[in-house]
Amino acid sequence: MPQTDAAKPITTTIVESTATRAYPNGNPNLPYNRAAVRNTDSAVPRPPRAPVMHDYACDGPAPGQIAFRWIHGSNIAAKNQDPRVHVLQYNEDSFILRQNVCVHWEAPFTYLLFGNAGALLIDTGATANPAHYPLRKTVDAVIERWAQARGRRRVPLTIALTSGEDVAQNQGLKQFAGRADTTIVPPPFAAMKGHYGLAENWPGGTGAIDLGDRVITVLPTPGAHRDGVSFYDPYTDFLFTGDLLYPGKINIGNDRDFVASLERLSAFAGSQPVKWVMGGHVEMMFVPGRYYPRFATFKPYERVLQMEPALIDEALTHARAVQGRDTMLIRPDFVLMNGVSPDQRTSDWPEGVPKINPPHPF
Amino acid sequence: MDRRTFLAYNAAAAVPLTLAAKAYGKTVSHDGPPVDFTVDGPAPGAFPDRWICGSPSAMDNTDPPIQVHWYNEHTAILRQNKAYSYEAPFAPLYFGNDRVLLLDEGYVQLRNDCDYRAVVDDCIEEWCRRNGRNPAAMELLVAFSHLDADHYAAVNQFADRPNTRYMGLTHEEMLGFWGMTNFPEERVTLDLGGREILIWGSPGHVISEFAYYDSYTQILYTGDMFYRGRCYISFWQPWFDSMKRLIDFCDTHPVAHVMGCHVEMSETGEDYPYGLTYQPNEAPVQMTVAQLRETYEYAKGITEPGIYFTGTVYLCNQSRSTTTIDRYPYRYE
Repeated sequence: MPQTDAAKPITTTIVESTATRAYPNGNPNLPYNRAAVRNTDSAVPRPPRAPVMHDYACDGPAPGQIAFRWIHGSNIAAKNQDPRVHVLQYNEDSFILRQNVCVHWEAPFTYLLFGNAGALLIDTGATANPAHYPLRKTVDAVIERWAQARGRRRVPLTIALTSGEDVAQNQGLKQFAGRADTTIVPPPFAAMKGHYGLAENWPGGTGAIDLGDRVITVLPTPGAHRDGVSFYDPYTDFLFTGDLLYPGKINIGNDRDFVASLERLSAFAGSQPVKWVMGGHVEMMFVPGRYYPRFATFKPYERVLQMEPALIDEALTHARAVQGRDTMLIRPDFVLMNGVSPDQRTSDWPEGVPKINPPHPF
Repeated sequence: MDRRTFLAYNAAAAVPLTLAAKAYGKTVSHDGPPVDFTVDGPAPGAFPDRWICGSPSAMDNTDPPIQVHWYNEHTAILRQNKAYSYEAPFAPLYFGNDRVLLLDEGYVQLRNDCDYRAVVDDCIEEWCRRNGRNPAAMELLVAFSHLDADHYAAVNQFADRPNTRYMGLTHEEMLGFWGMTNFPEERVTLDLGGREILIWGSPGHVISEFAYYDSYTQILYTGDMFYRGRCYISFWQPWFDSMKRLIDFCDTHPVAHVMGCHVEMSETGEDYPYGLTYQPNEAPVQMTVAQLRETYEYAKGITEPGIYFTGTVYLCNQSRSTTTIDRYPYRYE
């Protein structure tokens, strides 16, 4: 055998056929982008063959972090280049989305939570036009990627609002009209109560949204809005309070309801572990008691979103103080506005709180 | 112009400047006849039906940073885009045979952010081309209606502009710029070259404020003390006296339009809250003398601080630091 091989003449011409020649450094004659080329998404784990079930029971709050600063608009709103929807993955099954400040000054936060049997979108942002605010597209993409990683063919989505009447949170709902496999909690007050089974016991009772081993509690919390609700997630131990309690100028719609709702929240936080209270907006600055005005499109010195649960009791104390009075009350982490214009100003400064002037942009 | 080009430009332009100027003079005629600004009655001109007024999503705004409207051949009115500054101030640019007057400079400082100076330069070049003048020979006066940042923020952009004089940012410098010694009663005349601008003091919104009357278009520019929106009156008596001065002026001089610096209300009189960046149904910027007189009559009855709607404007009498007009829309019982 070796002899016969050696007897063959050695050819020096380039052989066109790959079958007769090896190309250890790649064949330059073949096209670069062949039919078999596709995006293999190799950055994510290979899709599992069977649905992956997650154990949502854990000691203490599920780990997660908010490690980045929120995008916060720009001095010239028209020249803003930031993403329209800022997506932050808190942990594998919890996402926080924020609308760009230069698309809408309210810059609301939207939360997307996953369980073994479905997903929940809390709030929908302030802009209906998907060209300006592609919430549906973003949520679809997150769900698709999550479904891939968890081996699901379908992920039923529930969309709930912290307030059906709040135009800073219900506008994006229009983008989800007609979406397959989607349950939308009806925004009208009566229909919403019926959907949660709260028609008889509003606001004393509680409802539930079962995502599959992750049961979100629905707490009626009117006060900022007539139809306000809060959501409690026992996995991350977050309390989603929308407009009721957030680091900003809290406009009180009805002070009696507002106090009662905070009392219920306080009692609830006493019976369940709460890691953070997560509101719908941020308006405070990172210095105590200072806030951005309405319609601001550049908020470089924002306070963080998350609030310690102790702030529920602080809010309750001061809500009782403003009850029955048309006034504005400044606290280090929030401002209460009862019966006054959203642009009201005051010269009363809380005692013992340092008055720091934040940096002012051009 | 970036820094690199700027440095190279100076080195290259230092010696052959005169040659270049001569060469330029050969191609462009600079000997147009002087413009005759004497007309019977107000010079014809028109305000636009609708100004550019922001967009629902500010970052999707594609309008120019500054809208230029030629009121007539010799008068341009500039307005800043709401998506560049919510103040969106108006700024008239008056052309005369010898010099050009710019009143107010917008609310953005940096040329990178909003190039006010380039827009003004373009306007001057266009006017000079139409009238056969040399833009370099036209003196530019950069003044402002009053001492508030939304009216002078871009003044620094003009600091190194050749053949330009700009108003200083103190009361004394402002008065000195117009050569006044008896503010606010003294009325001085600025000659732009055949076109006279009458200027006098108009304190009330702030102390350092002027009223400007253009004798050619007969537009009375009242700054922030009287405009279609919330006239924040910091000092009532000086403001009321200034209104009287405006009324007296209208009694003795023909006035075609009264024009303020902003528009903050809708055609139907609805208030657009402070800071809004989209005003889809804006009221026109120009007002009539009758509206000015009505407001004066209304103001005679005001004795207390507070917010008053006269039908034309909101008079916010010493209320700025306490309250505003709109309410929280979700109040319920």
